Amino acid sequence: MSKEMTIHLKYWKQNGPNDTGHFEEYTLDNVNEHMSFLEMLDVLNEELMLEDKEPVEFDYDCREGICGSCNLVINGQAHGPKQRVAVCQLHMRNYNDGDHVTIEPPRAAAFPVIKDLVVDRSSFDRIIEAGGYVSVKTGSAVEANAIPIEKEKSDAAFDYATCIGCGACVAACPNASASLFTGAKIAHLNKLPQGEVERSNRVVAMVEQMEEEGFGDCSNFAECEAVCPVGISISAIAEMRKDYMKAVVSGE
Amino acid sequence: MKFDSKVPGGPLEEKWDKHLKDINLVSPNNKRKYEIIVVGTGLAGGAAAASFAELGYNVRSFCIQDSARRAHSIAAQGGINAAKNYPNDGDSIWRLFYDTIKGGDYRSRESNVYRLSQVSNEIIDQAVAQGVPFAREYGGNLANRSFGGAQVSRTFYARGQTGQQLLLGAYQAMMRQVHKGNIKYHPRHEMLDVVVIDGQARGIITRDLVSGELCRYEADAVVLATGGYGNVFYLSTNAKNSNVTAAWRAHKRGAAFANPCYVQVHPTCIPVSGDYQSKLTLMSESLRNDGRVWVPKEKEDDRHPNEIPEEERYYYLEERYPAFGNLVPRDVASRNAKMVCDDGLGVGETGLAVYLDFRDAIDRDGKDAISAKYGNLFDMYENITGENPYERPMRIYPAVHYTMGGLWVDYNLETTIPGLYAAGEANFSDHGANRLGASALMQGLSDGYFVLPYTIGDYLAKQEPGKRYGTDHDAFQEAENEAQAQIDKLLNIDGNRTIVDFHRTLGKIVWDKIGIARNEEGLKQAIEEIRELREEFWQNVKVPGEKNNYNKYLEFAGRVADFFELAELMAEDALNREESAGCHLREEYQTDEGEALRNDEEYSYVSAWEYKGLNGKLEETLHKENLEFEFVELKQRSYK
Amino acid sequence: MPSLIKALNSQVGRKFMTGITGIGLMLFLIGHLAGNLTIFGESQAFNVYTHTLESLGPLLYVIEAGLVFFFLYHAILGISIWRQKKKARPEGYDTYQTKGGPSHQSLASRSMIISGTVLLVFLVFHIMHFKYGLFSPDEGTVILESAGGVEARDLRALVIAEFQNPLIAFGYIAVMALAILHLAHGAWSAFTSLGMKHGETSKKVQLGAYIFAIVLMLGFIFIPLYIFLTGGEGSLIAY
Repeated sequence: MSKEMTIHLKYWKQNGPNDTGHFEEYTLDNVNEHMSFLEMLDVLNEELMLEDKEPVEFDYDCREGICGSCNLVINGQAHGPKQRVAVCQLHMRNYNDGDHVTIEPPRAAAFPVIKDLVVDRSSFDRIIEAGGYVSVKTGSAVEANAIPIEKEKSDAAFDYATCIGCGACVAACPNASASLFTGAKIAHLNKLPQGEVERSNRVVAMVEQMEEEGFGDCSNFAECEAVCPVGISISAIAEMRKDYMKAVVSGE
Repeated sequence: MKFDSKVPGGPLEEKWDKHLKDINLVSPNNKRKYEIIVVGTGLAGGAAAASFAELGYNVRSFCIQDSARRAHSIAAQGGINAAKNYPNDGDSIWRLFYDTIKGGDYRSRESNVYRLSQVSNEIIDQAVAQGVPFAREYGGNLANRSFGGAQVSRTFYARGQTGQQLLLGAYQAMMRQVHKGNIKYHPRHEMLDVVVIDGQARGIITRDLVSGELCRYEADAVVLATGGYGNVFYLSTNAKNSNVTAAWRAHKRGAAFANPCYVQVHPTCIPVSGDYQSKLTLMSESLRNDGRVWVPKEKEDDRHPNEIPEEERYYYLEERYPAFGNLVPRDVASRNAKMVCDDGLGVGETGLAVYLDFRDAIDRDGKDAISAKYGNLFDMYENITGENPYERPMRIYPAVHYTMGGLWVDYNLETTIPGLYAAGEANFSDHGANRLGASALMQGLSDGYFVLPYTIGDYLAKQEPGKRYGTDHDAFQEAENEAQAQIDKLLNIDGNRTIVDFHRTLGKIVWDKIGIARNEEGLKQAIEEIRELREEFWQNVKVPGEKNNYNKYLEFAGRVADFFELAELMAEDALNREESAGCHLREEYQTDEGEALRNDEEYSYVSAWEYKGLNGKLEETLHKENLEFEFVELKQRSYK
Repeated sequence: MPSLIKALNSQVGRKFMTGITGIGLMLFLIGHLAGNLTIFGESQAFNVYTHTLESLGPLLYVIEAGLVFFFLYHAILGISIWRQKKKARPEGYDTYQTKGGPSHQSLASRSMIISGTVLLVFLVFHIMHFKYGLFSPDEGTVILESAGGVEARDLRALVIAEFQNPLIAFGYIAVMALAILHLAHGAWSAFTSLGMKHGETSKKVQLGAYIFAIVLMLGFIFIPLYIFLTGGEGSLIAY
């Protein structure tokens, strides 16, 4: 039979963006080892509601690690203790009976809290808006095989393209920098011939937008890479920096 | 209600081109006078919003997630079909069309499916141009792989994340237009009603999910690209927030709902482990290429699977289907898994699982070869279950995956409400009674990039440019009042059972009786049980929190309320369809060998349901759109 | 395209210039250490070296101005990055820990602003101490025969005298130890800021940075430590 355990939870409650917020505590008995972390929170909310208490709000959707909705900081680690896992895929068997677990929202000025553990990540959308695309209209594309792309290059672009936009990189960065997120999109598109034409404008516009949103500088802590659920390398940031300086120097 | 599918005449290959020649155009300077609302930002919605804006229309885009990029299209793993014939293996538009029609068990419209095949190639071109990093050969050209239901390799893929990459392509195209101001972007907004004025869709009511405020938006046309309704089962591979609300409320305003009983169940998912389970995770179907499916021959055999000797194992797919073995189509594999578990042979703590065993494949090819093929899937399995599939057979069970039914649409993707369109999984159009693998992405993008941008112009050209009724119009007021009244009602019940509890209970009824296999008695029981539970829901549900704040449980309450109504319609539809077709297996209508038995004489039609009211029971009128097969010959599927 | 000034003030530009100035300062430190080690050369070597520097005239001012610019630019960038970090995360975490693995979070990387600030304060003291001799009014002079018999400041005597003071000797040693931390992260980070990717090369550069920081600073530490321990009369110092 599966193992059951007691978990002592401490979680952030904040009624809205202007509320100061505080921690609340709750002890859950009968936490099954096969539960995902978010299922454990579902159970917490069921108990809270039946006790006429307010449930704790948190973001989630696909629960299979790809949509990027979930982003909790658990005991000070974005997406919890395991590497290469989004919190929706974290299972309670990684915890022990009697563990104390603190759950906080990602904390960054550019990710203001909406409620409890739910934050506003629209700053990420605006970074993409600034230039995270290839300007090609529907219907104007050339034949797909017209431009061969070396497999290695295409695979490298893919490695950057897998970003799920969860914001764990920002949450974990001691500076609250969005460089990994921004760099990943720049590196993905700038690596491909399709993205080549706009590479300079793209990198400059996206870096400017990233700053405007109020994220911090990148100090090369590489903590973002450690917490990234899809393991995007900080090489993305190197690509961004090189492309940016190239764009400035060439003055294109 | 009038059902005109508006399929153009002429030879199959020329219908779409002819239609494009015949439809009306909107002049460039008039386009900016029209406003189009697109609800949903998945492949269909994202692609449509971007394409409309590129054409010069004013677009408003809505999604319930915090960003357009999170729509559930993102989770599609396998790939996208196209008739490029790059491998030179004899593929063609005709073959893709034929495979799709046959895969759908001859319950889809020939003309739509043919068009889908025609535009499939353009989708690949478009995606590549956007920078979608599809898998490539060493020579630099695009790679293909094969998928179920086809004898050619026509599936384009980006590792196991094809949906993600295609969605990001559409999302980025959309964000480019947001930046230009051509799209007004409203994430964290849920559509609660469609506003119909003088018989035309003229806008929507949404709830701002952050502030809780109800908002009114007026437009010249509304597109619903809001996905499928698999979450009526509570447990499915859908995202937790996927829902039928937008489609269902449009249905209640007059849009016919087609084929709600066609639900695809995917055979290889990780089984349920307990009541707390919130969703099911799909494991790629490709695992069946090397894994052998079996259960112990003895009931309640709780030995470790590796200790069960060969002669005490029941390799039921291999025994029953010697020709296809473990590679039978999805519906057949799912049905058989359910049958052996119903017979008490299921494994695991719940008895609702079968083994998918790689022992023989590992003995034959070596662990490294198996790891190279399936390493990421094995890791995912181990991460979720805590069991090592290299050493112990996987436990799998079918799970609801995709809904072929949806809002009825004509050839233009217009619903029975003029000016209201439905795209992607939200409509019923292209997959008949069963969808083939790698066809959902193709359909969503086809609708969004290459069909709607043309067909919606035909409608708009006939509307007076810039005509506005104003959001003070009675129809807006009335729709908002109704939405508000439902929210207030839900919050005021203050009962004793949680929303999740109701949803889970509803899901169990739907799964047990309107699931993999259905019969008349079960369906009738289901209808009774759904009605009773729905009654209790409206008396005893507990919805926490406030209406003027972020409140996820309030959102869910509204969605579950709609699932309760849809579930009854699914049962009605399944009861009406006295045949088996594709994923709809009526136990009364099977061949002697236990296979689906179609009745083409009487049921070769689309069931389109018109909402009439809800008075303790759901009142709906059935309309039939006859399916004419001019170009393909109807055959019985066999996989023996 | 942004102007160069705007670009250098962007997040990428700031870090780029932090790297450039950092590398410049590291090169300076190598030169500085080489010069310092002349104290173990023949008896007038150190004073010849310092006197040569002081006789460079206007060129010296240019070099000094350049150094001041590099130091200040580097420091201002560091401070502005730290200030932006405070703005970017006004409310910190109740609990925070690294996930390890590829992370470069360490005592060194987390304390750059502290080690940097200490180094900056030290620098001011250090210049007043040895360049201007402000804390040793009775500094003597020496006749440099090898340099044509000119009279020059006897900085060698000053250094030997000062480092016999335990406060000064161990103060310098402590600051140099802290500088190991600053360089251990900084020497790797500078290259990363200039576009080095995370991979095998990066791992080697990080190892190189550790070695560089330790070797360089041990060199600097050796001088006060040796002088203090030997009371200025060790056999390595020629008279």
